[in-house]
Amino acid sequence: MNEAAIANAKRGFSFYARIYRKILVQDLKSKMSYRADFIISTFGMIMTNTVGFMSFYILFKNFPSINGWNYHEMLFLYGFSLIALTPLQCLFDNNWSLRYSVESGDFIKYCFRPINIFFYFISEVFDVKGLGQLVFGVAVLSYAWSSLAIPVTVGTLCLLVLLLITASLFMIAIMNFAAATCFWMLRSGYVMILMFRFKDYARYPASIFDGLFRIIFTFVIPIAFIAYYPGLVILHPDNIPLLSKLSPVIGVLFFWLSYKFWMLGATRYDGTGS
Amino acid sequence: MKKEIDQAIVMENVVKEFKVLNRHEGLRGSIRDLFSRDYRTVTAVDNISISIPGGQIVGYLGPNGAGKSTTIKMMTGVLEPTSGNLIVNGCVPYKNRTKNCENIGVVFGQRSQLWWSLPLIESFRLLKDIYLIPDRQYDEMMKLYSDLVDLEPLLHKTVRQMSLGQRTLSDILAAFLHDPKIVFLDEPTIGLDVSMKAKIRDLIKELNRMKQTTVILTTHDMGDVDALCERIVIIDHGRMIYDNDIDHLKSYFGSYRILKVRLPGDIWEETVIDESKTDVMSVISDYQKKGKLLDIKLEEISTEEVIKKIYENETNERKKISGIDKSRDNTGIAV
Amino acid sequence: MNARKYLALTRAGIIQELQFRMGTFITVLGNLIYLTLVYFLWRSIYASSPTPVVNGMTFNDTIIYLVLATALFNFLEMYLVWNISRKIQSGEIVMDLLKPMSYRKLMFFTFFGDNITTFFLTFLPTFIVVFILTKGAIPVGTNLIWFVISVGGALLVNYFIDFFVSTISLYTESTWGINIVKESIVLLFSGATIPLVFFPEKLRVVVKCLPFRCIYDTPLNILLQKDGYTPGSGMWTMLGLQLVWCVALCALTGIFWNFSVRRITVNGG
Repeated sequence: MNEAAIANAKRGFSFYARIYRKILVQDLKSKMSYRADFIISTFGMIMTNTVGFMSFYILFKNFPSINGWNYHEMLFLYGFSLIALTPLQCLFDNNWSLRYSVESGDFIKYCFRPINIFFYFISEVFDVKGLGQLVFGVAVLSYAWSSLAIPVTVGTLCLLVLLLITASLFMIAIMNFAAATCFWMLRSGYVMILMFRFKDYARYPASIFDGLFRIIFTFVIPIAFIAYYPGLVILHPDNIPLLSKLSPVIGVLFFWLSYKFWMLGATRYDGTGS
Repeated sequence: MKKEIDQAIVMENVVKEFKVLNRHEGLRGSIRDLFSRDYRTVTAVDNISISIPGGQIVGYLGPNGAGKSTTIKMMTGVLEPTSGNLIVNGCVPYKNRTKNCENIGVVFGQRSQLWWSLPLIESFRLLKDIYLIPDRQYDEMMKLYSDLVDLEPLLHKTVRQMSLGQRTLSDILAAFLHDPKIVFLDEPTIGLDVSMKAKIRDLIKELNRMKQTTVILTTHDMGDVDALCERIVIIDHGRMIYDNDIDHLKSYFGSYRILKVRLPGDIWEETVIDESKTDVMSVISDYQKKGKLLDIKLEEISTEEVIKKIYENETNERKKISGIDKSRDNTGIAV
Repeated sequence: MNARKYLALTRAGIIQELQFRMGTFITVLGNLIYLTLVYFLWRSIYASSPTPVVNGMTFNDTIIYLVLATALFNFLEMYLVWNISRKIQSGEIVMDLLKPMSYRKLMFFTFFGDNITTFFLTFLPTFIVVFILTKGAIPVGTNLIWFVISVGGALLVNYFIDFFVSTISLYTESTWGINIVKESIVLLFSGATIPLVFFPEKLRVVVKCLPFRCIYDTPLNILLQKDGYTPGSGMWTMLGLQLVWCVALCALTGIFWNFSVRRITVNGG
């Protein structure tokens, strides 16, 4: 259709970028006016990360290495996965409300605007608390980086950014899939919670899995791509596996698939709550 | 903008079916349902044909669960009809959801579609961007709004802080903002006080008049119908049972009157009388035989009563019915 | 009788839980995947260790402990904080407050039905599978009775902690924040993710003074008859401790809730 083509041209990338920026700015403004919430979330973020680090520390107190990986290498993966988590928590946090929106029927309101439903839904929430995690992650990663004496060059830093984006895409894709299950079933909250817990295992080397499970955790629930495969590029630059090199492409593919799955659910939605 | 398409909505033999799982009762039934594949088909909308010209306000009525919201969801592109043709503003809503959304506005009574934590003016500005409303058109609309309602105090409030009435008002303004060809209003006055209801009705009427917007209104409030609708469509059990103007609706039951009598002890009793069959005087004399009458009032039947009778008749004649044109005179009078 | 209405709530909870059939299947499947993660991680951890026994725990001990902890988690976790805070934000809570029983009891018995269902649907099957696979690594005797009793205690302690945290939602909309803090603290300090024996000495002293250990550490170690948790070596102290925490938390949540509800209703929040 001709008119549809025009409408699509009108609503291109710059259209969405403009709207997104406006919503984010407005949302931030309103967030700042709820100071108590902001403080509690930030405190929560610091507590969770402290507790998370404690369990990591306790484990290494008892066992000096895991699968040939020493404390500092593991710390590298740990910091890396925390940073990779930030975009998910800042920008895609509304996925956590998807299930409630769908079950209560409120989701229908997202179907009445002439813009992409996924974009409209996700753009509604910008979560500042994710930034606390970023600070924590950067600190851990920097410490591990310097302890491992990895040289700092512009090249490696650019590579690091690319790898972090890749890992984020996997993280976001997993949660998109998990969130979208609510379009098909009731009480899908557990899927999200479970997937979110899986990410805690992403920071361990994928070499601990064998056989079938190696394949599952690489291609079905791709947690191996959240820290291990991208991390290898920097940690073991002499011996980079093919999957590490391909990870940006696979990351984009996974994200795209998760988006399609999410949208499939949204078009299937009938406004009654399954 | 001129609405050049003369038919805003055309539905031809539209059917919508749902598959639902047969649930079983009790604890044992629930355990059985864990593994059950026992589905049945429910027809929510059953062969409805209707065409609505641009600029009309149509009251879309029916008892709860009649299939009203399913129809609205099909018209807005959320649901795909199982069979039949549905054209809204010249395109198929389900196939061109985004395009369809450009030309419609939707208000769901109790669910605000505005950004919960943003001041209203910011929501409006976002909508301006989303619908690509030209500056001039936006300014004109805002001017019109401030003429129609007391806009200023609302603009800087967030939706979260608004009362239900203010929220509904804001939602209606937001729905008309991009000057859509059709606006769907689902129970817009639900839960509002009398003066707010009147305000909302005036607003809808005025916007419809000035912008020539087609309005599809579902409601259970006959006050809305009386105040706004030129035409009424009634559906029940997924089927259309009435489609005509409001005057015709009243004249259809024109021979009906409501007799109110005051009995000793200050009790008012109401009787609906079909004058073509029963004489009012004979009913009164029946009352007099039983005891003294203190006062008598004879009233025209209200829209509310008419709709109630249509629903009742529909339930009584479920098997025979194919349209409202059939004679219903054989139905007894419910007292 | 008074018990009737609570029984009715519990029964309704069971039926409701069963309605979400896909959810049940997914829970079981998800658990299996999660447990394989746990298995692989600890297998490689023990493989890297110079000794097969670490802090008195063999690989088998640790895995049994963690598997049952996960099963127990499914059984105990009712997402109360999410549910209550949703109700508070939507205003639905007003309807519940009008019901002729205390809100704490109402919520407890509503979710108790879920607890019972998940106990049979997830905990028991997991337990049986673990029992068969490990061929007698789980001692069978009166410890099973004490285990069930202490799971009851764990359920109550967990419920009161959840309810306490839920009460905070009366003050803030940041449900995510408070819930994540609760979850991470409870899971670590209760010994659900890492058995408490692995904790460094100083930290362990602190953790033992907190109520969280009653939720996972106490029942699981009683079940596995670990040193310090047998009838001869301090099991009674452990059960007594659970009881003390139950009573203390019960009182504390009651006071906090009543105080908060009064404050909120007065201010019309």
